[in-house]
Amino acid sequence: MTPRPSSVRVRLTLWYSLILAGIVLVFSLFVFSFVKASLFSELGRQLDSDFLAISQASFEEPGELSDIETEGSTQIFQIVKDGRLFYQTPAFQKAGLPLIAELPPAASRTFRSPSGDRFRLKTGLVGPGILLTAAVEEEPVRDVLRTLSVILLVALPVALLLAAVGGFVMAGRLLKPVAVITARAEKISAENLSARLPVENPDDEFGRLAAVVNQMLSRLEEAFERLRRFTADASHELRTPLTVIQSVGEVALQEGLDAAAYRDRIGSMLEDVGRLTHLVDSLLTLTRADAESARADRKEMDAVRLVGQVAEDMRPLAEEKGQDLALTLEGPALILADEAMLRLALVNLLDNAIKYTPRSGAIIVRSRVRGDEVVVEVADTGLGIPPGHGDRIFDRFYRVEKDRSGEAGGAGLGLAIAKWAVGANGGRIEWESGEKQGSTFRLVFPAAGKADKSNDS
Amino acid sequence: MNILIIEDEKKLALALQKGLESERYDVEVALTGEDGFFRLCSRTFDLIILDLMLPGRDGTEILRTLRKTDSLTPVLILTARDTVEDKILGLDLGADDYLVKPFAFPELTARIRALLRRGRNDQAAKLGLADLEMDLLKRTVLRANRAVPLTAKEFDLLECLLRNQGHVVTREMLTRDVWKVTVRATPLDNVIDVHIGRLRKKIDEPFLPRLLHTVRGVGFILSEKEP
Repeated sequence: MTPRPSSVRVRLTLWYSLILAGIVLVFSLFVFSFVKASLFSELGRQLDSDFLAISQASFEEPGELSDIETEGSTQIFQIVKDGRLFYQTPAFQKAGLPLIAELPPAASRTFRSPSGDRFRLKTGLVGPGILLTAAVEEEPVRDVLRTLSVILLVALPVALLLAAVGGFVMAGRLLKPVAVITARAEKISAENLSARLPVENPDDEFGRLAAVVNQMLSRLEEAFERLRRFTADASHELRTPLTVIQSVGEVALQEGLDAAAYRDRIGSMLEDVGRLTHLVDSLLTLTRADAESARADRKEMDAVRLVGQVAEDMRPLAEEKGQDLALTLEGPALILADEAMLRLALVNLLDNAIKYTPRSGAIIVRSRVRGDEVVVEVADTGLGIPPGHGDRIFDRFYRVEKDRSGEAGGAGLGLAIAKWAVGANGGRIEWESGEKQGSTFRLVFPAAGKADKSNDS
Repeated sequence: MNILIIEDEKKLALALQKGLESERYDVEVALTGEDGFFRLCSRTFDLIILDLMLPGRDGTEILRTLRKTDSLTPVLILTARDTVEDKILGLDLGADDYLVKPFAFPELTARIRALLRRGRNDQAAKLGLADLEMDLLKRTVLRANRAVPLTAKEFDLLECLLRNQGHVVTREMLTRDVWKVTVRATPLDNVIDVHIGRLRKKIDEPFLPRLLHTVRGVGFILSEKEP
């Protein structure tokens, strides 16, 4: 792993400076070569025009050569006639340029004088046997280019440094909300989950981040609250039978009873042990549902047959209460489900229906195929659920009325288990109820074959 | 009949020992895996009750080693974990039966009886106790030579009680064996109680002595004597 700067701010600045350096470098190279090319082409043009002027002058008025020397811009030239030097300006001589008696292969070329200065030469025939060589000094152009490169080389790092400092400051200012969010979030723990992050501008990225974190905090707070309530409820439910066991045992020890009475007391204690065991089993079932370690073993099965079986199993309970348990089953209705889990859900629903329906009430179990779905309905004429409870009735330990506990009510886990069991088999529970109007719970499953097999676990 | 209990929870091990001795089994207890393994090597038992989670030498290890040399002795596993995977693991290693803690003592004795009976052919066509007779082929029940009409469920229930006569049958055993429900949290206790009440009305109320008794907090027993 390559070491990388820990701070986003530093990283931002580095990237920014690097990109800027690249751009400035390319730009400078471009400017330099452009200036160089145009200066040299200008020099070449000047040499051409000078050469032309000198050749004309030497051809027309050979006596005025010294005039050209003083008037023209080019003071450096020589004329060679028939292989011998005919005329040479002092500057030409001074610069130490050679005698050119033959036509060179290239008309124009650069020549370095013995003193190190560079000249551009142009040689050409201007008459029969007359060879003209004109020269311009390159040094002024080179001086300009040298200055330009020095300027660029000095300016570039300075500009970069300034940009980096500016970038660092800017990045710091931009990232300040992150620091604020971090500091606030650090202070939020399980104890004060109700605290929220400040949202300064809800439309920018940081505002959205803060809003998303706030939403997450809300869900977390809700989950914590549910967990806290669940733990409290579970402890309460566990404590009740434990208290009974303890007091029955203690009192029995104190009283000094005969064997039969002891048996009875121990039996009573075992009854509550049974309650505890059942409670722990139910809780374990739900815990496993949370961890999703209890995978549904889904196979194609006839829901109607199972509904009929469970209803017949539960019928004696209804009969004991003088309730009418009516079945209207249209089948077969094939679904993909784990039979044991589905049975658990149905037993819990029917148990509730019988429990919360008064004597001589009615419970109606219906099943039908509705399009692609199989619907199993358990309706009763019981107490019903007053409005305002919503889907909390599926919460663990949730009871519509607190005093429905004890003999009539179970631990308040039946619906939670039913909901899990139905959900794990690809179904859902719909329900409707009103106070004193009875309740209807509807289990809806996708029909097998049409069922989405991709979520088959 | 010799039974070896390998269980590190001392209180549970001693309670099981007492209970099984009162059922007239010879019981040895090993409180550690090492001790259990030593006893297994030094003599033979008719049945082994093995806790899977032991400190030191683990129950699965003991079972694996045992099955290398002895494939016959029935082994009943006790464990606090009841996921399907755990059960399959135990049975794959060669255990014969599986009981999840907490369990009812009558359930344990019923399983022990079933394991010790295994291999013996007792496909009796008739079951009976005192003047109660059951014909499994004709599916009829007589009490004092008078036919007692039973529903299918009541018949299965009585059959289960008759097969375990003289021993307590728990609601959980009935849930599993008569109602064929394997999920532990299924609330069928009320249903069972109603059926027991009806069965009692049919086979007991018009007759003496009473045969079907409730053992408070544990379950039901079919026996001539009061429990």
